[in-house]
Amino acid sequence: MTEERKISIVLAGQGNAGKSTIFNYLTGLHQHTGNWAGKTIEKFEGTLYYKGYTIDVIDLPGIYSLTTYSVEEVISREYIIKQKPDVVINIIDSTNLERSLIFTLQLLELECPVILALNMVDLARKKGVTIDSAKLQNIINAPVIPTIASRGSGLTDIVDKAIELKEGNLEYKVPRYGKEIENRIEDLSQYVKDVDLPYPERWIAIKLLEKDRDIVTSIREKDPRILREAGEAITKLEKIHGHDSSVVISDERTLLASHITREIVDIKPHRKLSLNERLEIITTHKVIGYFLMILILGAMFVGVFSFGNWLSSLFESVFQNWHEWWNNEVGTTFTATLGWAAVESVLALIQIALPYILPFYILLYVLEDWGYIARISFLMDNFMHKMGIHGKGIISFIIGLGCNVPGCLSCRIMESKRERFITAVLVTLVPCSAVSVIIFGLVGKYVGILWAFSLYLFALIVIFLAGKLSSKFMGGEPVELIMHMPDYKTPNLKTILSETWDALKEFVYIAAPIVIISGVFIQVINLAGWMPAISSFLSPVTEKWLGLPAVTGILLIFGILRKELILVMLAAYLGTTNFIEVLSPQQMITLSVVSMFYVPCVATISVLWKDFGWKKAMAVCILEILFAIVIAGIVRRALDLVF
Amino acid sequence: MNINKGQVRLLDLEDGQTGIIISINGGKMLTKRLADLGLSTGTKIKILRKTPFSGPVQVEVRGSKLVLGRGLAFKIMVEIQ
Repeated sequence: MTEERKISIVLAGQGNAGKSTIFNYLTGLHQHTGNWAGKTIEKFEGTLYYKGYTIDVIDLPGIYSLTTYSVEEVISREYIIKQKPDVVINIIDSTNLERSLIFTLQLLELECPVILALNMVDLARKKGVTIDSAKLQNIINAPVIPTIASRGSGLTDIVDKAIELKEGNLEYKVPRYGKEIENRIEDLSQYVKDVDLPYPERWIAIKLLEKDRDIVTSIREKDPRILREAGEAITKLEKIHGHDSSVVISDERTLLASHITREIVDIKPHRKLSLNERLEIITTHKVIGYFLMILILGAMFVGVFSFGNWLSSLFESVFQNWHEWWNNEVGTTFTATLGWAAVESVLALIQIALPYILPFYILLYVLEDWGYIARISFLMDNFMHKMGIHGKGIISFIIGLGCNVPGCLSCRIMESKRERFITAVLVTLVPCSAVSVIIFGLVGKYVGILWAFSLYLFALIVIFLAGKLSSKFMGGEPVELIMHMPDYKTPNLKTILSETWDALKEFVYIAAPIVIISGVFIQVINLAGWMPAISSFLSPVTEKWLGLPAVTGILLIFGILRKELILVMLAAYLGTTNFIEVLSPQQMITLSVVSMFYVPCVATISVLWKDFGWKKAMAVCILEILFAIVIAGIVRRALDLVF
Repeated sequence: MNINKGQVRLLDLEDGQTGIIISINGGKMLTKRLADLGLSTGTKIKILRKTPFSGPVQVEVRGSKLVLGRGLAFKIMVEIQ
């Protein structure tokens, strides 16, 4: 036994099997996120101190298989093979057992110590499915532990088992497939024996038969003769089975998974439709489903913004004298003014984050954990397809309504680079809470609530057309949607809070620092007295083309920091918060339209920059500025006909 | 593309109908991808519901529910049960 008593475990499994719930339960506050080396995919790490052990936990990305189809899959299998964690915990959605076992077999092929966590056994039981975990343990010769992650049940058993695996020398056995395939694997393993690669021989043999891109390349470098042997084996296999050997191997796993499932599962079908099944039918109904979706999202949106306005004005009354206090106590010197710029940015961030973004994300993750967001993806897939992306993209749009930063970051769930970019660009056109503050504060309050909602409809049309255009411009076929539809379940408070915090964390750690720094920077420009020059420089656009007061030029510069600044500073420059005295309805609507589209805020730009490079980020900004100016000018002229 | 008698596109099944996957009219990548997800030839697949305006289809495969894009459902050939 080593003195340090360290154990490393990784969590592997599909996205919605409860992996992150288990990760959060095990590591609690001792977690940190980073990126996988050279990738924009997040890496979640945490530490657990238990029974004198220091246990490092890594949460692998949620994946369906261990091929080379996506970056996530490659990262996961490379990590398991090369880092050789002491234990791999495979978290399985028990309501989705058979298909999950296909992944388990792939894990076992890697010849690493695996513990199976049969999660959500309670939900499976509700559906009339009982799983004989002892029998499963015998068949695959790896520990199997039934868990209910949302209640924390079974989770300490997993850790105890992991310690046992680490300390003892528990044997594990690889899954065996059909006889003639096993013969091929065995033959090939003989050839692979002397090749110097960090992978198990048997696994290399299987991957060669599966024509795995990465493994074939590695073998070609080491000993190309082996490829000839593999080629012969493949030809034999394909002759017998009549289709591609890569599919033959997949089919073998599927067949084995299905055999195992039949051995261990007992299903008692319900006669009556359960409440959840009824809900399923209603919420995905051809007509009622869409109606309900608009109702639910609309209610959520209106609810959050009424609450937000109330709370925000409460904050307003608390903060209102602070500036005066600062000027009196700290002074109005150059540094003091810059100091106030920083403080003001923090206060403004609080006024956006707590009243609007926080409640918005809590409700969103209630819907997500309940299972409703997957239904929205289902209902909206066709609409999203017209923009060249698939149904999952709608999730990023909805997140973007809260704040564009987590919205853009969430595009990482899209499968291809092309999809990720299109979705991110479209998210920057989604009116975030800050833009909504402008829309409701100007148009909603003084022109009419229907006008405010028309602006959202207008944004939707713009996003749709922009999507159509960009998918045409980018070329390529959209990836088809393949998504697991989770059953409805009671939302779990802990999961909701931790997901909300994850989204809010991105706002706090990524958006906030950039906003504060650039807030100070712009104040420097202001103190240098360059603002009038800027506003007169921009006046051909603001005054002549858009018909707005010249001061809006300055506002739009500040708005790059945080969009709601446009409203705050408008009041400061025009000397009143009763905007109807100084702006006509046309001007209010025009200003809102410009604010919606003219450029993503600095924080969002930084995310685009990080994920897609500065060239693309800049191109998006320039295009959106030009587009906003043109479209707002047209809107302005159209409005002059109406009012 | 050869379409035999009794063999239809998954998309052509009605809600509630079950078929057995016969072939996939797509590239090797797609066939392999679907096989890894448990949608190989010989697999029973049931249409739970389709959406209007050429939306995706919801299916049941191996005891779990999946949503497949319409383009995919177009490429999967099944024999009606």
